[in-house]
Amino acid sequence: MELITGEQFVKGLALLAAGISMGFGAVGPGIGEGFVAGKACEAIGRRPDEQALITKTMIIGQAISETTGIYALVVSLILIFVV
Amino acid sequence: MDVMMCTVLGAGLAIGLGAIGSAIGEGYIAMNAMGALGRQPGASQKILRLMIIGQAITETAAIFALVMALVLLFGGNGEGTMKAVTYIAAGIAIGFGTIGSGFGAGLPGGSALKGIGRNPQNSDALTVQMIIGQAVTQTSTIFALTVSMILFTLSPELSYLKMAALIGAAFAMGFGAIGPGIGDGIVAKNANEAVGKSPQNMGLLTRTMIIGQAITETTDIYSLVVALILIFVV
Repeated sequence: MELITGEQFVKGLALLAAGISMGFGAVGPGIGEGFVAGKACEAIGRRPDEQALITKTMIIGQAISETTGIYALVVSLILIFVV
Repeated sequence: MDVMMCTVLGAGLAIGLGAIGSAIGEGYIAMNAMGALGRQPGASQKILRLMIIGQAITETAAIFALVMALVLLFGGNGEGTMKAVTYIAAGIAIGFGTIGSGFGAGLPGGSALKGIGRNPQNSDALTVQMIIGQAVTQTSTIFALTVSMILFTLSPELSYLKMAALIGAAFAMGFGAIGPGIGDGIVAKNANEAVGKSPQNMGLLTRTMIIGQAITETTDIYSLVVALILIFVV
């Protein structure tokens, strides 16, 4: 292999970091959104007549839980294309 | 570095890590089957049937990891440093990627058995709900398997950047599949518990469960996108 320059070294580490960022960043939102939807199912099982309200709140709650996942995505895209 | 050494390392990572999730998930199902048997010894046939179906589906994740490990062991005969890196990356992607789904698929199985323990008459509704929930939970494993297969078949040019990108893609997909896998399992677990309590709401619950699981999967799709960008664009 040819000699690695300093710039390539930084770019390579940035690519590795992009993968790690998205990988670990997806763990939390995945589990968190699961909790939201799980409790929504439980609530609908108890009060099926309130399903419209519960589904709406579930989607809002999940969207907010998702934000950290989107941060991880943005950071990894910056690491891939900008750095 | 010897390529042979890297295929063996990749296969070890694949099945060693890949067996964790399914093993815990199946244990959780059997544990709840024992609880149900203690409550309803008369319904032992139904309990045993549901336990075996649930455990068989939970096993899927580990079987994917096993397949990938065997493919690496017997099919990994490429040459060069880059091929060696792709083999390790394929092992990391499928190994970590199956932990979440394996554990997640155990959760709905366990709560379906709890439901049978409460009322054995609901066994048909619980079986259907459990199978749907577990099937959707396997999505993240299938993504990981796809990325792992792509990494295995890839033969890139020798470059330091590409090497870092491939290992990065493996981490993105491998770790990225853990959270959504467990999250999907939690959704299906609570939906099954609700079906066990009130089977007449099953249609509504299945719909809500699938919407909830689909939204939970979004982070998994981000991981897949990042992994594919790292593999093909960089």
